[in-house]
Amino acid sequence: MIELRGVEKIYRRGAEELHALRGIDLDIAKGEFLSIVGPSGSGKSSLLHILGCLDRPTKGTMKFDDLNVEHMSETELDGIRSRKIGFVFQQFYLMPGLSVFDNVTLPKVFSRQKIDVDKIASLIATVGLHNRMKHFPNQLSGGEMQRVAIARALANDPEIVLADEPTGNLDTLNSEKIFDLLRSLHRKGYTIVMVTHNNDLASRADRTVLLKDGLQTAA
Amino acid sequence: MVFLRLAFQNLNRHRTRSLLALFGIATSVAVLFSILSFNKGFEKGLAKELERTGIHFMVVPSGCPHEVASLVLHGSIIPKYLDLAVMDKITILEGIEFASPILVAQLPNPAQKRVDLVYGIEMAKLLQLKPHWKIQGAVPKDDTEIILGAEMAGHQGLKVGDTVAYPNVNASFRVSGILEKTGSQDDAFIYMPVKAAQAIFKRPSGATAVGVKVKDPALLTTITDGLAEQVPGIQIVTMNQVMSSISTLAASAKVLGLSVAIIAILVSAVGVMNAMLMSVFERTQEIGMMRAIGAPRSDIFRIILVEGMLLTMAGGLAGILVSVAGNDLIGLFVRRIMPYAPAGSMARFDAGIAGASLLFAVLVGVCSGVYPAWKASRIQPIEAIKG
Repeated sequence: MIELRGVEKIYRRGAEELHALRGIDLDIAKGEFLSIVGPSGSGKSSLLHILGCLDRPTKGTMKFDDLNVEHMSETELDGIRSRKIGFVFQQFYLMPGLSVFDNVTLPKVFSRQKIDVDKIASLIATVGLHNRMKHFPNQLSGGEMQRVAIARALANDPEIVLADEPTGNLDTLNSEKIFDLLRSLHRKGYTIVMVTHNNDLASRADRTVLLKDGLQTAA
Repeated sequence: MVFLRLAFQNLNRHRTRSLLALFGIATSVAVLFSILSFNKGFEKGLAKELERTGIHFMVVPSGCPHEVASLVLHGSIIPKYLDLAVMDKITILEGIEFASPILVAQLPNPAQKRVDLVYGIEMAKLLQLKPHWKIQGAVPKDDTEIILGAEMAGHQGLKVGDTVAYPNVNASFRVSGILEKTGSQDDAFIYMPVKAAQAIFKRPSGATAVGVKVKDPALLTTITDGLAEQVPGIQIVTMNQVMSSISTLAASAKVLGLSVAIIAILVSAVGVMNAMLMSVFERTQEIGMMRAIGAPRSDIFRIILVEGMLLTMAGGLAGILVSVAGNDLIGLFVRRIMPYAPAGSMARFDAGIAGASLLFAVLVGVCSGVYPAWKASRIQPIEAIKG
């Protein structure tokens, strides 16, 4: 589904060049549960940005469903993100003025798709919040907010869910619950890629990619 | 609908900042709405008042047209007099319904330590000249009776039947009637028969002006042209000329007021832009997240623009409400600064003006929202995940 070949990412800060990724080769198959781990500055976020079509590689190629994405226009990338990728962020980023239901419908609104109320309700039920649909983010716990963010990531039926430190802001109990939720989504056929600092959670994924100084050290 | 809620949510998040920006817009829209409403009310009131004068033109000594306008509308004093011989020349003209001399002058009132304003008029034609007047009591039957304006009677506590004495000119008058409050300058005068006024001012054949009504208004120009040809040294002022003269004055005041309003709006628009730019800057990650989950640039642009429009629309509505609530206060202010103001309430709520002011406020919202919206739409989705 995703194919990376010789991907490098170089950031320029004045005259200084920072090599965030130094030639990554990676294949992610449909239905896989992959975790990416590594110390701070190892390049895991840069890799996730590229996988999520949020950033382009400086060198190398990336294919998403056999389409080369590095030369795509911004509008085309918007389309891929909107239709094929679901994002879960460490900070949840829910809209405080919108209810749980409305937050989950946002990707549909942005992609101009018809809102199927039953489908959204069923998504919210999937993440265990069927009785919280009309609540607002400030009425939810951290774990519940992350569940809403996961439901939002699934709203457009994505091919892959990219989770950036999804348990980073949660306690152990809630981290377990979120991981279990991602695990159950994987069982339902979703492809999951999770960036985490939590080695224990990472080890429970199907496959772990370990990054160090922009290089893949184990796969 | 979701876009609208998102925009509202953003405004609601920083209430103080939003309220301050809204206050600026409200103030400037209130100024704009007031100026436009008062101008319209002023013109309507003026036209109505001229209609009520019951005459088609005034014959006055040659002079300033503004003085004549003041004379016609509120009886100001012109230190020039017409010789009433001109009356004969007017009345013999064909097509004249009536002509009535008017003598306006100041009369010291030592008992009250003030100067009274006297309006000498032919009492037989009083109700033709002032058809809208309501008088308690009666119109003077002879030269010893007078009518008092409501304010005049109120100040001195005079009633119908009382006597007003002016020992300095050896005259005393019985109050035959009191004019009901008109809300105009008419309330401040003493109305006496023109002959009595000529006697006390020692101008037996003098008049400040002659008010003329014609039988057929279509022949007005022919009549005034003929009169101007026959009688040198006079000035003929038609009611339309009076209206145009005062309207020009009001238009100048309007232009000045509108300039102030536009400057205020520009300043408040900068305030709105600043508030929105700050808000966009603070929400970089949130906007980045929306971009990451598929929001195209155009949607981000629209959300921020709607935010600006909501803010200025609310400000515009608040401004209009404040202006409507403060109409009477503003009316008092206008009466102080304008040389002439029509009687009654000048500013009435006008849906057209309210709509135009609101539309203008929204337009200001669009203009001041474009740059912040553009900045927001340039935010890269990667900003969200960077954290």
